[in-house]
Parts: sequence; structure tokens; C-alpha cells
Amino acid sequence: MKIILPDKTSRETKAGPVTVEALVRDLGFDPIEVIVARNGTLVTEDAVVENTDEVRIIRIAHGG
Amino acid sequence: MPLWRTRTRSGSSGSPTGDEAVACDDVPVKTPRCDCCSGPAVFHDKKTARHLCREHFIADIEERVAETIRSRHLIVPGDHVVIALSGGKDSTALLMILARLLPSWDSVRLSAVTIDEGIAGYREDTIHSADQLVARYGMDHTSIPFTDLFGGTLDAFLKGREAEACSVCGILRRKALNVAAERAGATKLATGHNLDDEAQSVFMNVLRGDLPRLVRDSGSDSKGRFTPRIKPLMFVSEKEIAVYLMLHGAWADLPECPYAVHALRGEVRSMLATLESKHPGTMLHLMESKTRIEAQCAGRLDEEPVRHCRECGDPCSGETCQLCTLKKTLSQ
Repeated sequence: MKIILPDKTSRETKAGPVTVEALVRDLGFDPIEVIVARNGTLVTEDAVVENTDEVRIIRIAHGG
Repeated sequence: MPLWRTRTRSGSSGSPTGDEAVACDDVPVKTPRCDCCSGPAVFHDKKTARHLCREHFIADIEERVAETIRSRHLIVPGDHVVIALSGGKDSTALLMILARLLPSWDSVRLSAVTIDEGIAGYREDTIHSADQLVARYGMDHTSIPFTDLFGGTLDAFLKGREAEACSVCGILRRKALNVAAERAGATKLATGHNLDDEAQSVFMNVLRGDLPRLVRDSGSDSKGRFTPRIKPLMFVSEKEIAVYLMLHGAWADLPECPYAVHALRGEVRSMLATLESKHPGTMLHLMESKTRIEAQCAGRLDEEPVRHCRECGDPCSGETCQLCTLKKTLSQ
């Protein structure tokens, strides 16, 4: 699984299959403060990501 | 091109922008389904346990904003609503949703105003974003820089007093928005405050023991002294706003205000986010508490007499308004 972090860096992991929420928490984010796209598509926190997926984590900037 | 601008869905929910939208028809098996239509879910509301697809999520947000406006009489026929458009995510979503709802109102006009506080490395991007947005909607738009109104930028005023950034900026922005609304001939000034902002404010006022401010409403409080402010997004969470923008291809990865780290609000935000995550509905419960306290306090709190600042003449509660008091301490 390729994970793209909010700072645009990426990393590979074999953590899947795993729920988005578990993955996000494992990476140290609170699910309420991020949005996750799986292969370019927004997914919910209870969706599952696999090792073949590209997962992008987008942090919600405050303010505005 | 960002990932979320991958394709356009035809026959979608009627995006007000007509922008490219997030793809959502590539459906792996392990994708939760929309409770309304069994399409792929893009949002899960933990409080209600509802899953919503793109179309139903967008419709739900717009209907909730419409209901907030309707039930609180935030916008009435003949209003000229000026949107306080910073170009950040909240005010961008506010403009998009109000523009979408506009045809359902009689004789209502929308325009936008942007205040440029002068925050290097932050405001340039959001102002550019605001300019692009109003151009796309063909909306009247004015910008007012702090330098025109106060003779300097926020960056210059805050040298050596960064910890006071939010209170200094708040006083200056309030004045700037009042001036902008008055110049535009606004009958309402709409701001992008969302559920998270409002819940944080309730919590902060409780922490400060500030009951008058807790029950004070910026719209009803104006009493003809200022253009009434309305907050149509007050029951839409920050995350819902981000998802709404992303689904419209209108999400921009903008920086956070560099002064935000100094604010008490930052600590409260973090605390409430943790609570909301563990106990979904916490923020809405805070808002409900505020409503109940308001009802209990109605007519019981002593009203502050309206005075006028002895220096500038603006309405205020003391002898000198906050702005004139602040101005004496600002470095140029």
C-alpha cells in the first residue's frame, strides 16, 4: 500500500487489509482531522484499504 | 493535478460550480454503501450512523444550511447579503452554498468582501483563491487591506506581541468587516463560522465564565448599531465542509494562519476534536446546551447600556471602544 501523507511525502506499508480509521490512527492522526482518498476516491472511515491501494491522507486546515 | 480532480460525473447532484468532481464509481467490495441509494458512501456521520454517497451528502449539506437560514430567519426577502470571503475553505463553501440556494429566495442579492490583514506567506494564497472564486461566479467583490484602514499590516502590528494575535486581529477584522458591510450597503454580513468554531466558542466562554458573551448572538446583538451577522454554516462541521469542497473539486490545500498556534482556541480545538472523535455529537450537544442556557437567560441578564466611544463615536460598552484602546498600543 502506498500512503501519501499530508506533507506530500509517501511511504509503503503492508498493513492492509485494514479500515481507514485504524490506518489513520496508526499513522498518528485523529480521523476527525483528516480526509482519506483511496485510489483517488474519497472513502469513509469504515471503508477498507488493501495493500494494492494508494491511500492519500489530507489534513483539514483550520480557519477560513 | 490533485488526485481528487480525476473525472467529472455526469448527471450529478447539480454542482453549483460545474467543476470537476471526485470520482466515486470505482467501487471496491469493501466500500460502505449510501443509506439512501446504496451508491458508494463518501461520508459517514458517526452520530447518526448514516452513510451518504456524493449526491446525497451534497443535498444533505445544502438542505441543512437552507433549514438553518429558514428556521432562524437569517435571510429575508430584499436582503443584500455580503459574504465575508477570506478565500479559505469555510467562506468558499459558504459562497458556493449561498449561490446555490439563491434562486430559492425572493429579491436577495449576494456579494463578497475580502479583508487583507497583511499576513505574509498566508494571505496571498487565500486572496488569490477568493479572486478566482468570485470571478467564476461573476459576483461583486471588494477587498479592503488593513493598511488602508489602520495604516499598517497585522504582521507589523504584532511584532513582539504574537501571543495576542487572535485578539488583536479579531478587533481589527471586526471593524474592517463593519466598514466593508456598510460601504457595500449590506443588510446582512455572512461569515463562514462552522459547527467546530461555534462549539469552540461556547466552550471557551464557559472556560472564561463569560455568561453574557455565551448567550450573546452576533446577529440579534447588533440592535441596529452594526450590520447583523449571520452564520449559515453553524451546524455544518469542519470535516463536512472539507468533504463538500472536495466533492466539488474546489478543495485547495491552503496554509494555516501562522498565528493560530498562539491561541487558546487551538488548545480548545484539539480538546474538542478528541472528544468529538471519542463521543460523536459532542459539538452539537454543546450548541444545544447554549440554546438551553439562552432560553433560561432570556430577559434576565442586565443589558449593557449603549454608549459611544469618546474618541471615534462608534457604539461600545465602555468609554472607549476596543479598537481605539488597541490603536494606542499598536506599533507601525
